[in-house]
Amino acid sequence: MTEEPYRHVFVIIEHIDGKLLPVSLEMLGEARRLFDDYNMRYSSNEKVVAIVLGHNVQDLSKTLIEHGADTVVIADHPALHALINKTHTKIICQICLDKNTAAKIEPLYATEFQRPRYMFFAADGIGRHLSSTVLAELDSGLASDVNKLVISDLEISHPVKTGGKKVMYAKTLEMYRVDFSGFLWTTILCLDNTNEKFPLRKYSPQACNIIPGAFEPLKPDSQRVGNVVNFEPKIDPDDLKIKIISQKFVESEVDFDNYKAVVGFGRGIQESPEKNIKLVEGFAKLIGAQVGTSLPISKNVFSASPAITSTYMIPARVIGTSGHKISPMLYIAFGISGAMQHLSGMEDSQFVISINSDENAPIKDASDILLKGRMEDVIPLLMDEIKKQLPTMVVK
Amino acid sequence: MSDLNLAVVVKLEPDLSEGNISYNADGTLDRKKTKNTLGPHSKIAAQAAFYAKVKYGANISIGTMSGHAANNALQIAMETCDADVLQLYSDHKFAGADTIGTAEVLKNGVGKMNGKMDIVFSGHRATDGETGQVGPQIAWKLGLTFLGNVISYDVDLTKRTVTAKRLVNLRGVPEIIQEVEAPLPVFIAIDPSYKYYFDSVSLRLTAEKYKKEAFERAQHYSDFLQTFTLEELGADETLVGLIGSPTIVYNVQRVPKGKATRSAKVLDGSNPEHIRQTVTAIKEAFSAMVIK
Repeated sequence: MTEEPYRHVFVIIEHIDGKLLPVSLEMLGEARRLFDDYNMRYSSNEKVVAIVLGHNVQDLSKTLIEHGADTVVIADHPALHALINKTHTKIICQICLDKNTAAKIEPLYATEFQRPRYMFFAADGIGRHLSSTVLAELDSGLASDVNKLVISDLEISHPVKTGGKKVMYAKTLEMYRVDFSGFLWTTILCLDNTNEKFPLRKYSPQACNIIPGAFEPLKPDSQRVGNVVNFEPKIDPDDLKIKIISQKFVESEVDFDNYKAVVGFGRGIQESPEKNIKLVEGFAKLIGAQVGTSLPISKNVFSASPAITSTYMIPARVIGTSGHKISPMLYIAFGISGAMQHLSGMEDSQFVISINSDENAPIKDASDILLKGRMEDVIPLLMDEIKKQLPTMVVK
Repeated sequence: MSDLNLAVVVKLEPDLSEGNISYNADGTLDRKKTKNTLGPHSKIAAQAAFYAKVKYGANISIGTMSGHAANNALQIAMETCDADVLQLYSDHKFAGADTIGTAEVLKNGVGKMNGKMDIVFSGHRATDGETGQVGPQIAWKLGLTFLGNVISYDVDLTKRTVTAKRLVNLRGVPEIIQEVEAPLPVFIAIDPSYKYYFDSVSLRLTAEKYKKEAFERAQHYSDFLQTFTLEELGADETLVGLIGSPTIVYNVQRVPKGKATRSAKVLDGSNPEHIRQTVTAIKEAFSAMVIK
């Protein structure tokens, strides 16, 4: 029997100067969990492959194998020290299409190998762009901001993809992403075109970028074995004209760690954004709390003055999987309904009070107290009571 | 004669502030039932192009893939950056495209603009699709160096290079500001935090002049508008629209409710006694008397 030309899951590892980012091990953990099952159900000779680009990064392979990689492919070159999209895209694609590397990953059926079957990137400041350009080069499909993955055989009938006929798509990666509302979960599939009206087109790899924090890394297992493949990258001299002049870390303009209390607000501000944000601001000042928001607030969808917009409607204030994970002694959520991605950012708070006009809003299940009411009505009452009960409250 | 040739690719997006998003049966967005406007990130991309027009002198072309309803978005974009040319790529065969099918159309569109581009701008991401993939994919298809999350940039007209500051957000480490120099041509996806600043009186006066011109032009935007069908673009129909898209939306469902992690006591915000109880709980939380 001839094996398929698409094999393995390639996980693009992210690190800064040889220090792994947590998302790298999270992606490897999920790849391992999926492939433990895949190896039993479909094929035992397809592998979890970690791809590392950088300079002096050989030491990472041990950690990556302990966290689930069967093979670590390392492209180690001085030109790969700097994080430059163009160079990294080209080298990743070289690895994806290289039959010699495929033979070192798994000799069996290596001659049939054409491309990876699946690819995982991080949905962050590196992986978002890299996944886009790599998949543009490989001409295949990409789902972004994924937080659940399933591999299954699906019978699909689609007016364009299959011309309306039922077609069995084996080993299909179901890629789940939460939409902009935070409440709808969209499943994206990357499917070959089998519609006879059009030229047959096969799409591989099926790729996605994964939200940091969405999956758990595996506990490291020092008994795990794996092999390391060194890949000789072919650097395009033209790309060396792109130079990193400087690179520096900057602390976030919004600090949550040094506050005992955090006040968050969400779409509940909508009837009067400017006024309601000022109310929240006044409340936070009264109890010495930092101000955070739910994700939609950072998207410039509510009108307010430039001073309010530039201070509060910014990504740096977002609490949730797309922003900060906080753990204050007290978290008060004003007008936040409680999308899953927000809850995962605040669930470690010690005590949670939510103020919401809907007493069945999902935030209720993550709250110790739900105070039913509109924020514009409730905040002034709370502030008056705080001034009565806590005249000298200093909590920062 | 201007030295720079700039393109801005923009997107007509649902006006999320209205909250009136609806979906078709196949799970794709029902754009007919949704009020649309120029995407906020597209507007920032147009502002970034305006900066170069004022500082260096430039010819600006704007392109979008959409139905004719995008005229309004193109008008706003024109007023934002004093564009010289507006292009609309509109064909029913473009419908249903994923990011790679969209990038293919816009790549062909940029090819129809006025000469070879020095910089192509896009927004950071769309507020509806939110993938952030189309910009880098157009860049790759055009063979341009991609610079994402750009918070400021300047051009050296003599060396023909761009120097850009990029904001790189990664989980688990502080934000990184990377300063990069690259030869023109480049593709810049502009960060939401971008704001232009003119550091001399003469530049501010130039900006005012162009803003006035932009306002007047935008009143007659249709005089500057060119429309292209698939055939007029010369695009390959198997690479655009649904058929040119590797991915499909298979299913849309409500995110399942997670398991309750706490059991909330429900209080009434209009009841003074309940307000008092809530503030007492706040006080106790601060005294670390709440043991979970």
